[in-house]
Amino acid sequence: MRKVLPLKISVSGVRGIVGQSLTPQLAARFASAFGTYLGQGQVLVGQDSRPSGLMLKKAVTCSLLATGCQPIEVGILPMPTILFLTRKKQARGAVVITASHNPSDWNGLKFIGPDGLYLPASQIEEFLDIFHQGEFTFVPAERLKPALTEKNAGFLHLRRILSQIDVNLIKKRKFRVVADCANGAGATLLPSFLHELGCEVRFINTELTGKFAHQSEPTPENLKELGREVRDFKAALGLAQDADADRLALVDERGRPLGEDATLSLSVDHVLSRKKGPVVVNLSSSLVIEDIAGKYGVPVYRTKIGESNVVEKMMETRAVVGGEGNGGVIWPAVHPCRDSFTAAGLILERLAGFPGSISELMDTFPRYYLLKDKFDCPAELAFRALTELRHRYQTKNISTVDGLKIIREKAWVHLRPSNTEPIIRVMAEARTAKKAKQLLEDFKNEIKQILNQLSQSGRASY
Amino acid sequence: MKPLKLSVSGVRGIIGQAITPELVIDFASAFGTMLAAGPIVVGRDSRNSSPMLAAGVVSALLATGHEVIDLGLCPTPVIEFQVKRQKAAGAVSITGGHNPASWNALNFINGQGTYLDEFQGQELLDLYHLNRFQPVLFKKAPGIIRELNPEEPYFDWLLSRLNLPAIKQAHFKVVADPVNGAGSKLVDKLFDLLGARLTAINNGANGYFPHDPEPRPRNAMEVSSLVKITGADIGFLLNSDASRLSLVSENGETLSEEYTLPLLASYYLKKHPGPVVTNLSTSMMIDEVAKEKKVSVIRTRVGQSAIIQAMLQEKAAVAGEGSGGLAFDYFQPAFDAFAAMALFLELLAVEGQKISSLVERLPRYHIVKDSLVCPAHRLHTLVAEVKKLYPGVEINQMDGLRIEKKDLWIHVRASATEPLIRIIAESSSPHRAQTEVDKIMSYLRRLTG
Repeated sequence: MRKVLPLKISVSGVRGIVGQSLTPQLAARFASAFGTYLGQGQVLVGQDSRPSGLMLKKAVTCSLLATGCQPIEVGILPMPTILFLTRKKQARGAVVITASHNPSDWNGLKFIGPDGLYLPASQIEEFLDIFHQGEFTFVPAERLKPALTEKNAGFLHLRRILSQIDVNLIKKRKFRVVADCANGAGATLLPSFLHELGCEVRFINTELTGKFAHQSEPTPENLKELGREVRDFKAALGLAQDADADRLALVDERGRPLGEDATLSLSVDHVLSRKKGPVVVNLSSSLVIEDIAGKYGVPVYRTKIGESNVVEKMMETRAVVGGEGNGGVIWPAVHPCRDSFTAAGLILERLAGFPGSISELMDTFPRYYLLKDKFDCPAELAFRALTELRHRYQTKNISTVDGLKIIREKAWVHLRPSNTEPIIRVMAEARTAKKAKQLLEDFKNEIKQILNQLSQSGRASY
Repeated sequence: MKPLKLSVSGVRGIIGQAITPELVIDFASAFGTMLAAGPIVVGRDSRNSSPMLAAGVVSALLATGHEVIDLGLCPTPVIEFQVKRQKAAGAVSITGGHNPASWNALNFINGQGTYLDEFQGQELLDLYHLNRFQPVLFKKAPGIIRELNPEEPYFDWLLSRLNLPAIKQAHFKVVADPVNGAGSKLVDKLFDLLGARLTAINNGANGYFPHDPEPRPRNAMEVSSLVKITGADIGFLLNSDASRLSLVSENGETLSEEYTLPLLASYYLKKHPGPVVTNLSTSMMIDEVAKEKKVSVIRTRVGQSAIIQAMLQEKAAVAGEGSGGLAFDYFQPAFDAFAAMALFLELLAVEGQKISSLVERLPRYHIVKDSLVCPAHRLHTLVAEVKKLYPGVEINQMDGLRIEKKDLWIHVRASATEPLIRIIAESSSPHRAQTEVDKIMSYLRRLTG
């Protein structure tokens, strides 16, 4: 049997293993489709630190030129920086050569539309149609444009953030900070950014070799090294970026991870204290967001998981802040995308205006406990099981925007079939760890029971 | 039909039609797969499509595990020189040569710094058609080395092989038209080093071709007037990658590109005697020169690849084509217009003669060249049809049809670079050559309707 090569084509672009499924030919076809889709215009080309980035960038540049676009190569830059620059430079779009947190022998292409926004699903469809049909528009020689290279364009992004926060207030505190760039593109700009804010910084994992010292998910395991360094450096705060630098995790002055929702909670609270307005978060973000919004008397909208869903709703509701509980803060005053630099700026500003430590600041928020679990379930059964569960709870406060979320007083449970694996993810949040655990177990048992019944009735019908 | 020309030495076509990113990447991947491990040199001419092709080529070479030595804008002879200097596995020269600006091509060069020979060329085509490339897994990524000023060691080498004191002492005045191609600006350096005063036009390396980048009299009007105005000793026209050369004499006469080879060979063979290699379409003038120097003439198929291959096999002293491409054994086995220009100045300095009087000494032949646009799929069958016009005559079919009569030869062949049938005839009688070409042209026109 022929081995199936790992190649994933999805709404966020294409990913594969370089030299196996991801070849220059494939990259050139995708970029030819994208150039055809955009029509002629300027297109930013960015990359992360992977060793195959240069090779793929050349293939992308070749195709963008051939379709009459003008590529602007901006080099290794964080994802939010490229999104910001796409709008700032009024480019037609951007191609980013990155595979986020995948191992270093992977790479991929992400496609960004006008205004520096991810393409909505309908537009992605159109672009993929062009790709699959292979009907590319190549221009004759006299209409080819020269490729441009821009160095240091990333500082425009930093300048924008710095113009939106009180730099002097932060500078006065001379924060000692440890920053973990996870060997991602964030390392290109975070040193300058924290320097501008007058911080004394120790950096770890800043080498851009394409090899990642640890995975960039902000699990306690991955934040251990940062915690040690924070204690050793006697820092006030530890900052951890993910590989694309769109998400930020925090470690307190004692080296303890602050939990996934801390970044968003601190940022939302701080933005609302400056300017009131709607907040948009996804279904899995903590209830503390409702508590914070309640304090300021502003509404909270919840959307499906996924950055583009949150962004879309934010634009619709003219939200002042939003994001995802996994450390992705979206502040439209800079750019409507998840941005670890914006998050770091907001949190440092908040801390600068607070007389205590970061852990004391966190104690001012209501404490919630979020637990996550998953179990195997074939995709076709998962849908039927969740439908059955929905029937049972339809008279209660539920949300079916993304899977099934059952909302209780100061607690919720969220069941969601994975898009990529045959599993169901279960999450529960409550004011105490015990309650969260109870909620999680109850619903896990209930859904398993439904699955048993379904598979038995399925067998009986044969 | 999208004209695409695959030959042993490369692939050429019109940008946006036959030449697409995928074609470029596939060919360069085949080349990267074919070559042994080692860096590969990449250079390009000034066409505005060349950076697009270069990006695709570099991507494919990196993907097949080769480090790339990027020479940037660089004429083919300098690329060929750098292959040997860098001990590279090969090179890709991105240039449409003499083709119009809407065209471009990948020219593949082996580790010896010459165009691929027919076996290597066949292997490349096989790999391309099999579409089985060997991409490497990216554990350790090959990179790009940017070589700045690749012409400097080249000029050092070139000068070391010339009678420099004689050239410098003559203080020549020169006019050159590098047609805004890859030779632009470099002509300033070359003639400065040779102590000559240069007046150059179309010297911008911007890829805008004010005339077709083919060195020949109909493109030489500006050079001719400048030679007259400045009182220059000689005028030069280059193609877009400085591999071909035609001349304008000191009195402003625009010389056929056919003169380049015999004029220079008659000087060069005195110092470096040896066989001469040329193609079936090149003027009989070279036979006269060779007879005088008592060396043999070997005729090959048309194209740099065939000529250079024969040059190496036959240990020839000079190899060249009537289109103005020349290679010399004491220099490099590659068409090199810089070496040819420098040698022309050496010739003028050493012989103390004017170009016009050197031309006078050559036998006068009349060469008539014509071409017929023809659908690509009928090129070869139509060429074969011409045989019917010459029943009972012995025909050389090494490359199309070549018919020899007393004081006349005719060559009919399918162009390797464009969808054209080329008809060339030469005789000491202008009338005979023209009549022969007209006869074939009208016959072919009737067939193509």
